[in-house]
Amino acid sequence: MSVVLTAKGLSKRFGGLAAVDDVSFEVEQGEIFAIIGPNGAGKTTTLNLVSGLLVPTAGSVTLHGRDLTTLTAAERCHAGLGRAFQVVQPFPEMTVRENVLVGAMFGTPGISRADAERRADHALEVTGTTNLAERDAEELTLMEEKRLEIARALATAPTVLLLDEVMAGLRPAEARDAVRLVRSVRDEGVTVVFIEHVMPVVRDLADRVLVMDYGKVLTEGRYADVTKDQRVIEAYLGRDDDAPPTDVAAAAAPAGASGDAAEDEA
Amino acid sequence: MDLNLLAQALVSGILAAGLYALVSVGLALAIGVIGIVNFAHGEFFMIGAFLAYQLFVSFGIDPVWSLLLVAPALGLIGALIYTSTIRFVLKAPELNQMLLTFGIGIILTNMALLIWGGDPRTIAGIAYRSIGYQVGGVSIGLVPLASFVISFTLVLGLYWMLARTPIGRAMRAVAQNRTGAALVGLEVNRVYLVAFALSAALAGIGGVMIAVIQSPTPGVGLAFTLKAFAIVVVAGLGNIRGVLFASLFVAISESLVATLVPNGDTLRNAVFFAIIFAVLVWRSRRVA
Repeated sequence: MSVVLTAKGLSKRFGGLAAVDDVSFEVEQGEIFAIIGPNGAGKTTTLNLVSGLLVPTAGSVTLHGRDLTTLTAAERCHAGLGRAFQVVQPFPEMTVRENVLVGAMFGTPGISRADAERRADHALEVTGTTNLAERDAEELTLMEEKRLEIARALATAPTVLLLDEVMAGLRPAEARDAVRLVRSVRDEGVTVVFIEHVMPVVRDLADRVLVMDYGKVLTEGRYADVTKDQRVIEAYLGRDDDAPPTDVAAAAAPAGASGDAAEDEA
Repeated sequence: MDLNLLAQALVSGILAAGLYALVSVGLALAIGVIGIVNFAHGEFFMIGAFLAYQLFVSFGIDPVWSLLLVAPALGLIGALIYTSTIRFVLKAPELNQMLLTFGIGIILTNMALLIWGGDPRTIAGIAYRSIGYQVGGVSIGLVPLASFVISFTLVLGLYWMLARTPIGRAMRAVAQNRTGAALVGLEVNRVYLVAFALSAALAGIGGVMIAVIQSPTPGVGLAFTLKAFAIVVVAGLGNIRGVLFASLFVAISESLVATLVPNGDTLRNAVFFAIIFAVLVWRSRRVA
């Protein structure tokens, strides 16, 4: 497998606070790569540095060997980085199809109208939103909005898609759909980097996991390995010598909710 | 009441509405797409008028042809002002943005006063200005009619562009969600630049027409900023499609007051303030 996305020594300071501190990782072609960590670990900031919404204090981002560090968010999109948000960012007064069409038209400079239409329709199909195509984006339910968000990002023809907490706020059945959705995106040949809180989802989806805490990389590896790592357990549960060792998944999953969803999927 | 007078007032109002819509739609574009309340918008209009005047005096160019020259010139001026000032305040508090555009307006007005002085300037001796038609007791001048048709066509053209063309889609996308637009590959700053230049160009075209309809002074910009604001407020801030209807409403109100109220001609500006006031109060009552 070949490395497609590289982050090297990424740092971001807000005043005196180091939100992200010397974060490096490599993502391989076709894998699903998770970034996890407790609240405030710097996951979203890292994704913002990669997608170009924030300018890093230090470090670089490389896609297919091309240095993206000085490019704008739009230029990174053209280079092949897609991004979907936890808080969805639709164009509310356009239809679902027009939203996705905008992604197709402007994600690839110089694309013909016919190709853009075709790509938009394909993205709708992959994300199961074809039946919503003529609805206005502002009328959608949360899950539908998330599908749209991914469809629009997919229409920009990314090689790497960055997903920020896609499961947040979803009910179990919806989370199950979302897991399926991410898989189908990968089956399209798109490499996926995602941030997630719901641990069973991470377990089911991620080929590899990067664990962050206090803006730094704690460890990196397969799900089964990192969740046994004592430092990871401490990061999630706090250090308590009297407490019996517990499963990270149980601690991180918000009270039952989406946890069982992913169980069923497995 | 004299029915002829009423009909004349209505027709005059409708004809004026075209030009008002053209100027206002540019203001609405800047507010809706960029989120900038441009108090210098009327000055773009004024510069358009004086460029047309100067082109006529210096080179004998008929205002009809000036339309084609002034539009790109104002587009360029708009682009320069956007690049050198506006783009730096996009994330600043709204008050700062307004102070900036207000300041730009004052500078432009005073530059015009330096160059052309404060007297009204007339483009003298163009034959078609005196052409008019009588339709059932109502007189319709060729110039106001042409101005209405040109303006109306341009406004509809803008609506079409926004609805159908790639750059129009880009403008709507940026207007509706700046972050989302950047992440699907739209260079937001470039779209803003185009929108601002287009806004200025539309105002400039309007200016050429006012140079034929009236004899403008450099103060005409502020007057039209006021009119455009009343219209944009009626349409709903940033609502581009509402501008056409709002222009009709405002222009007809102005015309009726000026014609039918004794001494009404002196109340023209009051009409705009009254409309802004009434709409804002009405809207806030509905919210509360």
